[in-house]
Amino acid sequence: MSRFAADYFDGQTSRAHPVRAAVEAGQLHVQGENIEFAFPLDRIQVAPPAGQARGVVHLPDARELHSADHAALLELSRLTASARPERWAHLLESRLRYALAALVVAVLIVFVGLRWGMPAVALLATHTLPAGLDSRIGEESLALMDKISLSPSTLPAARQRALAHKLDAQCRQQACPPYRLLFRDSRLFGANAMALPGGAVVMTDALVSLSHDDEEVLAVIAHELGHVQHRHSLRLALQSIGAGVLLVAITGDIGSFSDLAAGLPSLLLQSGYSRDMEREADAYALRWLNAACIPPRRFADILGRLDKAASDKTNLLDSHPGTRERIAPFLASGSCT
Amino acid sequence: MSYTKQYPMQFTGRGGEYFVIWIVNIALTLATLGIYSAWAKVRTLRWFYGHTLLDNQAFSYLASPMQILKGRLIAVAALAAYYMATFFAPLLAVALLVIFLVFLPWIVVNSLRFHARLSAYRGLRFDFTGTMGEAAVIYLLLPVLLLPTLGLILPYMAYRQVKFIAGHSVYGQTAARYQGSLKPFWGVYLLSLVLILLPFAIMAYGGYQAYQMQAAGMSREMAAAAVGTFIVAGMVAFYLMLPVVGALIQARTANLLYNGTALGPVGFTSSQRARDLIWIFLSNLVLIAVTLGFFIPWAKVRLARYRAQQLTVVGPEYLDSFVAGQHQASTATGSEIADLLDLNLGLT
Repeated sequence: MSRFAADYFDGQTSRAHPVRAAVEAGQLHVQGENIEFAFPLDRIQVAPPAGQARGVVHLPDARELHSADHAALLELSRLTASARPERWAHLLESRLRYALAALVVAVLIVFVGLRWGMPAVALLATHTLPAGLDSRIGEESLALMDKISLSPSTLPAARQRALAHKLDAQCRQQACPPYRLLFRDSRLFGANAMALPGGAVVMTDALVSLSHDDEEVLAVIAHELGHVQHRHSLRLALQSIGAGVLLVAITGDIGSFSDLAAGLPSLLLQSGYSRDMEREADAYALRWLNAACIPPRRFADILGRLDKAASDKTNLLDSHPGTRERIAPFLASGSCT
Repeated sequence: MSYTKQYPMQFTGRGGEYFVIWIVNIALTLATLGIYSAWAKVRTLRWFYGHTLLDNQAFSYLASPMQILKGRLIAVAALAAYYMATFFAPLLAVALLVIFLVFLPWIVVNSLRFHARLSAYRGLRFDFTGTMGEAAVIYLLLPVLLLPTLGLILPYMAYRQVKFIAGHSVYGQTAARYQGSLKPFWGVYLLSLVLILLPFAIMAYGGYQAYQMQAAGMSREMAAAAVGTFIVAGMVAFYLMLPVVGALIQARTANLLYNGTALGPVGFTSSQRARDLIWIFLSNLVLIAVTLGFFIPWAKVRLARYRAQQLTVVGPEYLDSFVAGQHQASTATGSEIADLLDLNLGLT
């Protein structure tokens, strides 16, 4: 190995001693005016050079060698065991092509992780979390929504009771997840239904008025029971927390400018998660309606009307896409056993 | 003959060189789901330190990636716990926030200490000797007093921060002294106040004009339109003024920090100008937006170069008479929490 010029600092004073250093027989020899010593390579540590910046060799007892000879420092860092991951970095940095290719691969990995990996982990976590947790979260979010976006229902009490009674009768004949049917008025949500963690199913007044008969309302409730059955809302919560923490961890170093955009990908991917969940809830609703001898067409009818009502308003992030595709099985099927 | 010598600070890094390091850092960080970010941070800082020269000797950054990773994992775990709590148990989240406030002085002192102890120049390390008690006064008590004093305490708070950071810095065995006074901080913040109030003056003037016009018999709609125009103009001026005031405070605070600090036989001259910083900030912002972020490395290098150029060390003929202090270990946890939360400790 070639000799290289360096400044030697003894770690005691700020005085620089110009020296020459070289590796011979597994030892780093340092020579200068009134200076001569050697250390075995396993006792020195080389801070891997970054770009053309001055590099540092750490010797025992806080002694340092500073050098601008990058080639020599790089060779020395290969000879010592220090800093393995940075060798990869150095290889990629050596060609702009490699660097850009690495970036593309990395972005792909993150996309796949958020799109498929995180939901899988969330599903696993949903199965391991105790059921009591669902209802606690559900209670808290219902209390919060009651304060800011929901008001008491204006439906006649008799109508509410009648709907609850019909649902109750059905759930005595077939298995339903534990649920609690609630009616609320909401200007914010319009005609809508929500399944909260823990089994609270919230129907808005506007949705009930939009329906032509009770069977349509029951069809929507069946769909929401599907969400309850699969604990979708808890899964969604876990996914968004996971994605949030991951993105904070990843973007922490990219620069504060990117923080603005960090939340965006998770939001866009989020609507993808709920699409799969809608499909699961639909499948549950179809089975439920068939078992209850309610024509599945009722669900298609009210969904079509909901879609029309929704498309009158501008809706940027529609979480119920492809209505036509969704209602097809409900139009085809109609077996009542 | 001159007893003292001027040592201009130099920054020799180039944007293109940093771009490659930056992009590989991002790629490896993404590919390892964030784990590599610790190595990325060390590599980046080593590059910036290694290109910062004083008297033809570079600074060195000594933290090991594993240290950073440990601190970062603890910080991320704490943040994750907080997010989970806001979701599942809001009351617990409030409790965690209180715990965080109690720990804030510890975070501040540890962050400054870690930063100092892992920075070295000519083989000697820096250190920070500020106490948690003083940090509690400056970063907890004074901010609480901002509201009842209507912000009048702000210049004093800024002065105490600068004094805390500069006055407790140590290089080797040599402790720094901060000799600046409170008075110039009042100047900085009064000027900032005037600049911030200017847009509101525009709005008030508009309202007065409209009132006059209406009194002179102009229709209500016309007067309302005039008021609207002045309010929009005032808002635009306000948003333009925010970065201007930010740059002004940053530049003046950096100058006050360095110019008031003495490190043994060595003094500093810092001559940052607000208008230069504003130009750098605004042009960086435009270029970063136009290039979809790819200009970020050049932007950072520009800022580092400007800050180095404006700083001169005034000292004796040779800078080699400093003596080493005792080496002490420190943890990265506080520093990583501060980083993650973007805490502004007043470091410039």
